[in-house]
Amino acid sequence: MSLRLHVPPLRLRLRPQGVLLILCGSALLRIALFSELYLRYVKEGLRPYLVVSGAALIALGLLGLFTRDHGREWDEEEGEGEEDSHVEGEGHDHTRNPRIAWLLTAPALALLLFPPPALGSYSAEREEARVAAQGAGTFPELPAGDPLDLTLGVFASRAEWDTGASLKGRTVRLTGFVTRDDGGAWSVARLRVTCCAADAQALKVEVRGADAPAADTWVKVTGTWHPTGRPGTDAARPVLDAVSVKRTTAPSDPYEKR
Amino acid sequence: MENGRNVADGVRVAARALVYAVVGGVALLAVVTVGSVLGPMVVLDLATPAMAAWWTVFTAVAVQGIPFLLLGTVVSAAIGAFVPERVFRRVLPKNPALAVPVAGAAGVVLPGCECASVPVADSLMRRGVAPAAALAFLLSAPAINPVVLVATSIAFPGDPAMVGARLVASLATAVAMGWLWVRFGREEWLPSVRRGGGPAATARGWRGFRDGLQHDFLHAGGFLVLGAAAAATFNILVPRSLLDVFTGSPWLSVLLLAVLAVVLCVCSEADAFVAASLTGFSPTARLAFMVVGPMVDLKLVALQAGTFGRAFAVRFSSVTWVVAVVSSVLVGGWLL
Repeated sequence: MSLRLHVPPLRLRLRPQGVLLILCGSALLRIALFSELYLRYVKEGLRPYLVVSGAALIALGLLGLFTRDHGREWDEEEGEGEEDSHVEGEGHDHTRNPRIAWLLTAPALALLLFPPPALGSYSAEREEARVAAQGAGTFPELPAGDPLDLTLGVFASRAEWDTGASLKGRTVRLTGFVTRDDGGAWSVARLRVTCCAADAQALKVEVRGADAPAADTWVKVTGTWHPTGRPGTDAARPVLDAVSVKRTTAPSDPYEKR
Repeated sequence: MENGRNVADGVRVAARALVYAVVGGVALLAVVTVGSVLGPMVVLDLATPAMAAWWTVFTAVAVQGIPFLLLGTVVSAAIGAFVPERVFRRVLPKNPALAVPVAGAAGVVLPGCECASVPVADSLMRRGVAPAAALAFLLSAPAINPVVLVATSIAFPGDPAMVGARLVASLATAVAMGWLWVRFGREEWLPSVRRGGGPAATARGWRGFRDGLQHDFLHAGGFLVLGAAAAATFNILVPRSLLDVFTGSPWLSVLLLAVLAVVLCVCSEADAFVAASLTGFSPTARLAFMVVGPMVDLKLVALQAGTFGRAFAVRFSSVTWVVAVVSSVLVGGWLL
């Protein structure tokens, strides 16, 4: 009789921990699995981790909602209230919900209800455009194509560092959003993200010979390279003489890959 | 009788689930409806470009941190629930002064950002590892793991000295901090549970794993959000182009980049690319940026304050900052 296995009753409890975990998990799945919104915040390679994390958080949250009762002590612990009402540090009770965790609702609800937009001209205008120093030298020949689609990064680094002038005589097409510079000039710009949007760096190519569309408009600019100085010096800046400026839709990945 | 109880249990659970689903569903519908009707107005109000950029950077830091935080809490919960204390006693030398460099070098095995290392160091302490050794691990893991070293070598092509300098300076800082803790550290700066020797308060096995994971993730996640908010605020307030003003003086530029690493909270996989783009700064200043960044930044201070207490986080982070700057200046002078 005493050997009979005691099966604790299965119960469903609406615990704040479980709800929070499910909220965070669904926010991750919404941006990474059911849409490509995650590209506004982090790099492409993080997608599988986001999906796995989201699924794991939801599973953990559901597990927390359905619990078997394990004897009386468990009940008593919960009876004192699930909020973390005691001083942190004396005893480390893992069954309560730490109050600070409620902060997680801010990014989770933001992502679920109003996903913040991708960074655009506001961030690009605040930043000096910089291409990591590579040292002047010759670059490999550009592939065929007329016009040739180039990323802003490739165009800018060749304009600034290529002593072989491989851009000369080529018609290229650049895609980016419009930013206004000081003194009436405008640039086609793109942000380059390495890890997440917090480390975004601006890439800008000044456009000459065309009127500026409204800031943040996505455009395809076709034109030719306008040399401004000897490569490797400060005078060499990326500038494009535009032949045509066409509006386009924002790409799903708003940032440029490294 | 048992069977009858189980059936009744099942029915009760099903009924409860139904009630929750209905109530929760109605509440969610209401929120979504109100949100989608009022949303555009609220968004218009908030849509100054600066505010929008703040929200984007804030969510980006949180989204980027959560998978790594989850990895860290999974490892730490597994250590807490499945690895017996004697394993660590056998692997690590008894003398804390000897255990520090071993633990520092062990940082190589935890790939990922700094968010992962805080919960792992915490659970090491709770498993009876000397605090000095766990702290050396905490500092070295995000800076010297292979992912970060490869990223550094990509960011500085043709400059292997920079990768070596980063490895040496980071490891030196971590070990120095561990030894400083052995010599000057006081146990009362840490919460009582981590002082070692005491019985582990957590349950063992799967149940302990799940409870530990849930608690640690939520707890650290809250502090991650706090740190993300601070990082986003600085990101919006301090334009990076402002830095060019300070490139003139070599000493000032080292200190400036070391401060910048604290407030920008760029994750340790990305900071090498940011450092590489800070042309005009001396190599030593850029090294300081990469050594300080993974060890002291606002997000980490928030995480540490949540895990080890505010008293600890403030003392530890400020001393680490000084040691990291000194170590990068010395190593930079030697290797770069």
